[in-house]
Amino acid sequence: MDYALYIATVIGAAALFMMMPRRGVRTGRIGAILGGATLGGLWLYLSRSFEAGGGASSMAGLGDGATPYYYVFSALAIGSAVRVITHTKPVYAALWFVMVVLASSGLFLVLGAEFMAFAMVIIYGGAILVTYVFVIMLASHAGDPPPEGAASRAGAGPGESPDYDKLAREPAAAVAVGFVLLAVLLNVAFEPMRRNPAAEAPSDAAIVRDVLTERPAGIIAPGAASDAADAAPVLDNAERVGLDLFQSHPLGLELAGVILLVSLVGAVVIARQRADAADGDGGLRGAGGPSGTPLNGGT
Amino acid sequence: MNVPIDSLTLSHFLLTGAVLFVLGLVGFVTRRNLIVMFLCTEMMFQGVVVSMVAFSRFHLNVTGQTFVIFALTIAAAEAALALGLVVLLYRRKRTLDAEAWASMQG
Repeated sequence: MDYALYIATVIGAAALFMMMPRRGVRTGRIGAILGGATLGGLWLYLSRSFEAGGGASSMAGLGDGATPYYYVFSALAIGSAVRVITHTKPVYAALWFVMVVLASSGLFLVLGAEFMAFAMVIIYGGAILVTYVFVIMLASHAGDPPPEGAASRAGAGPGESPDYDKLAREPAAAVAVGFVLLAVLLNVAFEPMRRNPAAEAPSDAAIVRDVLTERPAGIIAPGAASDAADAAPVLDNAERVGLDLFQSHPLGLELAGVILLVSLVGAVVIARQRADAADGDGGLRGAGGPSGTPLNGGT
Repeated sequence: MNVPIDSLTLSHFLLTGAVLFVLGLVGFVTRRNLIVMFLCTEMMFQGVVVSMVAFSRFHLNVTGQTFVIFALTIAAAEAALALGLVVLLYRRKRTLDAEAWASMQG
């Protein structure tokens, strides 16, 4: 049985709870050490349990020496994700999220999905995160007068995070529920491995040789073609994704374009500041009532 | 007979995806900054995307990677709309605290 997975889940939950920003005693450092130790122990357990599995060694292997990269990129992704949700400054949380994106792009490279890796870096790390950083900049508190009636900002000096960034909301309950969900997910994910420990990823060469004998090898994996005659229809990853996208999902592609257009128009309508309302000192702040909101269109 | 250490299974990648998803969920519930809450939804997307690409590779079916493109589209649309809403809400109350809008919970 995989009690090690459950033990790692519980200790990881405790470590995450210690790292949550709270008032009072600072246990972040202890939590970080505990979490790192948990992750290291989990990696040791995973690599050992598969080493001792036994079975079809000729079928094993995702690629040439890809396994260490999985552990490195996965640890980077998980550690950065923890920093995203525990850092008290939103800008740093966004920058740590860039780290999560880069690490999971590394995981995609391990999986042989090069197009997805680069698309992820360009779209997430380049476009979406720049939008986030712009909004953080627009919504910064620098130079704002202290708002009346917003007691949550009391005690926040200049250059210091406001209270709602420094205090987590219900950290114990959230961590408990989240990690119960994680335990269930891991139980499901590792069930086939427990039943059949030899169920590794078949290597490309093994699949070409044993499973799909009637197909030319170049279709399955470019590197696995044994002779020149098989290698005629070699497709790389981007070409295969493009073929599948345009052959099997043309309607979805059109709908995606419509969704992007609608969200573009919607974002402009939502975030637009009316020129007459912006002339006042407070922007839309003083405009009360439904006629003052920018959502009812121009009147 | 021993399998070499160079063997990854689908379960490894599902573990990473599940951990990313759960961390995003915990962050969404615990953080009170609106921007960081939406950042956490993007992290849940990352977990799902890692799982989908792993399924695509291990089942040798490229449709999983095609669906990542659609997930990216939805994530971009969601980020644009949500950040527009955040800017609007910030202009109304001059704070990013989610608790400032607690009157909307009825």
